[in-house]
Amino acid sequence: MEVPRPMGVERTQSAGRSSIVSRLATWTENLSEQTYALLLLAPGFLILLLFAFWPLASSFRMSFFEDVIVGPESLGGFVGLENYVSLLTDSNPFATLTFLDPAMETPILQQALILTLLFAIISVAGETLLGFAYAMLMKAEYRGQRLVRVLIIIPWAIPIVIQGMIFFLLFRPGYGLLTGPLHQLGIFSQLPLGDAFSGFVIVTVADIWKTSAFMALLILAGMESVNQDLYEVADVMGASTWQRFRYITFPLVFPALMVAMLFRTMGALRVYGIIESTGVGCSTVPSMTCLVTEFTFGSTTLYGSAAAVSVLIAITVGVFISVYLLFIRYSNQSLGLT
Amino acid sequence: MSIDAQDHDDAETLDDQDEESKNRVQAWAADWIRNPQKAYAVMGVFMGGVLLATTLFPLYWLFAVAMAPPGQTNIPLIPTEIDLYAFVDIFQQVPFARYMFNSLFYATTVTVVVIIVASLAGYAFGRLNFRGKLPLLFSLLVLSWFPPATLFLPLFRAFNQQVKMLGLFMLPAEIYGTPGAVIAPLSAFTMPLAVFILMTFYAQIPDGLEDAARVEGSTRIGALFRVIMPLSAPGVATAGILTFITVYTEFFFSFLMTGDAASEWAPIVNGVLAFQSRYTVRYDLQAAASLVAIVPVAILVVLAQDKIVSGLTQGALKE
Repeated sequence: MEVPRPMGVERTQSAGRSSIVSRLATWTENLSEQTYALLLLAPGFLILLLFAFWPLASSFRMSFFEDVIVGPESLGGFVGLENYVSLLTDSNPFATLTFLDPAMETPILQQALILTLLFAIISVAGETLLGFAYAMLMKAEYRGQRLVRVLIIIPWAIPIVIQGMIFFLLFRPGYGLLTGPLHQLGIFSQLPLGDAFSGFVIVTVADIWKTSAFMALLILAGMESVNQDLYEVADVMGASTWQRFRYITFPLVFPALMVAMLFRTMGALRVYGIIESTGVGCSTVPSMTCLVTEFTFGSTTLYGSAAAVSVLIAITVGVFISVYLLFIRYSNQSLGLT
Repeated sequence: MSIDAQDHDDAETLDDQDEESKNRVQAWAADWIRNPQKAYAVMGVFMGGVLLATTLFPLYWLFAVAMAPPGQTNIPLIPTEIDLYAFVDIFQQVPFARYMFNSLFYATTVTVVVIIVASLAGYAFGRLNFRGKLPLLFSLLVLSWFPPATLFLPLFRAFNQQVKMLGLFMLPAEIYGTPGAVIAPLSAFTMPLAVFILMTFYAQIPDGLEDAARVEGSTRIGALFRVIMPLSAPGVATAGILTFITVYTEFFFSFLMTGDAASEWAPIVNGVLAFQSRYTVRYDLQAAASLVAIVPVAILVVLAQDKIVSGLTQGALKE
């Protein structure tokens, strides 16, 4: 952290710089609270304006313009909602990409949407269950608790590309540790990374492995905010372990759990890195984000369509957020909270 | 409990001869039935062991693969020999040290930028009253909900294809392939959470301390950097660590906004993937490189686990 030296020291050392600094400082002294606040917010919001708000607006605008496959210009004329309509209904306008449906009859976006939703639901459900278990393991008091906490958190801090590499090495064709056994059981094909079903399972398991810790940390916070006296009362009244969980832990952790699930759902809906880095690849398990990159970097550049997909991802995320927020409000009312 | 008793009955019929062990099993079962807490404790330890094993096994496998001699494809679960040469080789086959440096450079720079800028914003949001506070905070919250893919295409074109930003000005040509192409979007992407964390910490500092500093002759800005920030050191550390880990582990921008070569500022994403494409049979190198790249974050988690726990919970649950 850069802590500027005290004014006085600076003044004695470099007269030229200090006069500017002190003049600036004096100038800020005389600002109203309103102006001063906006001045402090300016650098942050300038960065956000250039690298977040502008790109968002620009993506939105680009999604209404025609794809231009040949020629120097990458965007054509204004076509309104045409990109969205063709993405949602055309059987498959992009012959190079077949993805899940080799017959090319299902619109490509539908395939990606279904796959992304399935991924989000399954992985968040798995992470919630495991997260609860990890949270209990982190909460319990015993010798070596700090070590256990570190071991649980580490997967969360591992770069996505390495998470992918780990699962690539576990499932690589032929010799991966789990490739043979799972093939013999008839669950996976011999090349699990190149098969849509096996690839999907691998990506989902990899995601659950890495992000359960995040879920656990948020649930743990919820657990630690529960008033411990309640458990003493429960003990006095002879509640069983299950009853303690069902009537104290679960309802009181519920709000934190909802927030954790919301965060993880938002993360799962943008899944991309783990698909690429396991070697499964976007052509085997095409998520929504995969479509954006395929349309941007693929053999034909389809900027208008890519922008339309990216807006559709944001809309999907928005729908989920609204559902969660409504559900949280509804359950708070029915639990008599708020 | 009844399940334990059942198991025990089966065991009894199976080895009638072993009287002593039968008695011991019987004693356990009886003890557990009388005292269910004990059974729960045993079950808890067992479940905990299973959970930890599932977390750690993939990492262990990385180690087992790294140990295997080069060219060996069928890797045993337990290494037959300890061969650490792969850990040296990764730095010779590929400029892996440079890839690591690039990643650490991105993570450090973004962290410094975000902490300074988010501190100013966090101070304004946490300690000042001004018109437009709620709408601006809300815009930050909404921004944090957008997926990176929605920001990506315009930024990619602005960095790479001379498209005017905001319709007003062009960035210098060839910014793609310089650190800025990764640092700028990731700073914007990680800023909202840092602002939320710092805002809550800064708001907790009593007004009296700031007033005292001002009476002592400190300027407004000086009070922020000399009084508020040091007093909120745990919060600043938390926001910094979370930002660092987010950037270091990030894939999307790190992968798509950079070239492949280490000399062109490619991060470990490309470094690790370089082994995957170039040396398809050198699994030992892939695993060794992965383990080396985990070291910085592993150290951070060991040193700062409390900060991570408190930071995620305070930043994320304040909504």
